[in-house]
Amino acid sequence: MLKSWKLKEIVLMSLFSVVFGIVYLLFLHAGNIWAGFIGPIAYEWIFGIWFIVSIICMYIIRKPGAAVISETIAATIEVLLGNAIGPRLILTGLIQGLGAEAVFAATRYKRFDLWVLMLAGVGSAVFSFVYGYFLGGFAVYSTGYVALMLGLRILSGALIAGVGGKALSDGLLATGSLRGYAISRSKKGESHA
Amino acid sequence: MKHALHKMNPSLKFLLLTVCMITMAFFFDPWTPLLFCIGILVLQILFSRINWKKWLLFMIPFFVTAFGYFWSTIVFAEDQSGPVIWSFWVLNVTETQLHYALSLSFRILAFSSLSLLFAFTTNPNTFIMSLMQQLKLSPKIAYGVMVGYQFLPVLKDEFIHIQQAHRLRGATPEKNALQRLLGVRRILIPMLAGAVRKAESAAFAMEARGFTGERRTSYFQVITVSKIDGVCAALFLIVLLLSCTNRLWIS
Repeated sequence: MLKSWKLKEIVLMSLFSVVFGIVYLLFLHAGNIWAGFIGPIAYEWIFGIWFIVSIICMYIIRKPGAAVISETIAATIEVLLGNAIGPRLILTGLIQGLGAEAVFAATRYKRFDLWVLMLAGVGSAVFSFVYGYFLGGFAVYSTGYVALMLGLRILSGALIAGVGGKALSDGLLATGSLRGYAISRSKKGESHA
Repeated sequence: MKHALHKMNPSLKFLLLTVCMITMAFFFDPWTPLLFCIGILVLQILFSRINWKKWLLFMIPFFVTAFGYFWSTIVFAEDQSGPVIWSFWVLNVTETQLHYALSLSFRILAFSSLSLLFAFTTNPNTFIMSLMQQLKLSPKIAYGVMVGYQFLPVLKDEFIHIQQAHRLRGATPEKNALQRLLGVRRILIPMLAGAVRKAESAAFAMEARGFTGERRTSYFQVITVSKIDGVCAALFLIVLLLSCTNRLWIS
């Protein structure tokens, strides 16, 4: 799978993961304090922020694996930075990345419009929720509470990760620093058509 | 043996901790996670040399989170059967609810003690090296991650520079929380643009020095699996087994 990848794309992914690894950690600490007061539901409405790197990397690089690898690297960087959630975060990252990757794979890596990016956010939300349900023991909670959590997470995934990720990448594209990546090639193609 | 946990192979430690955490997720009684948490602490006291003050400081947020889980389980639990043991305002706390609430909060504590064990006894570079040598992680990704990790201090400086530049031009931080959240892109986009440039030059430099991304036959830093790893793995599994079978020996 990595044969078609250029080294600069991998290093780019890893540097983005570092930047967002720091952002993730900040939100994690904020979320932790929240969770103490309002319980596990505190994370849900900001959950989308944790899916954003997979969507940005896939939108820019557009190669199979970009979503899952970048999210896993971001989680690994968080672990390397010495966050206290520890090694299980890598597994979390892998599962969230797989959620987004599944949506992109379903379009055969051909469509990268806003709807697909939002759906990818939803994919991450659903995958991570199933994992969280199991590991966090959500089975104990009443059905309505769990449904509310899932709804908030899906909304957050679509809006923060999907819409926010696209806005950030488009802003980055406008700076002109993304020449030589798939995203700027396709934009040119669209304007010619 | 006092440094056994530090010397343990990082990949093996990672796999073992993952197995432990997944096993813990199957238990909904308070005793299993509590005993497991205590067992992990004992292992850490015996076989590692860490700064316990720092450990306690890192643990504080998790106590807060555990408390959050505790009360939301009491309020939102599905199963509200059993005798009422405590009444407060409109809440009637039953035995089952308390049982689940304690279980979930102890689970948080068990997970966090495992995580801190990993974080405090593992060197980041050794971990990546071990992932590449033992778990066959692609060298392209392994070295890519290490490059990113090395850029961390540079990115931190850049963050400060961008903030200073904004202040120099009179950009004041917004007061409204939502506007501040949207204002984050003014810092993120220049940082990401800088990251793109750094990634390209680092990748060119690596390729110019003959990095192909092929797997090597020998490494400068060799990570091995030794006898210590076997002993540590056995200890972890014993703790796991003892806490999972607590019903047999706690009457």
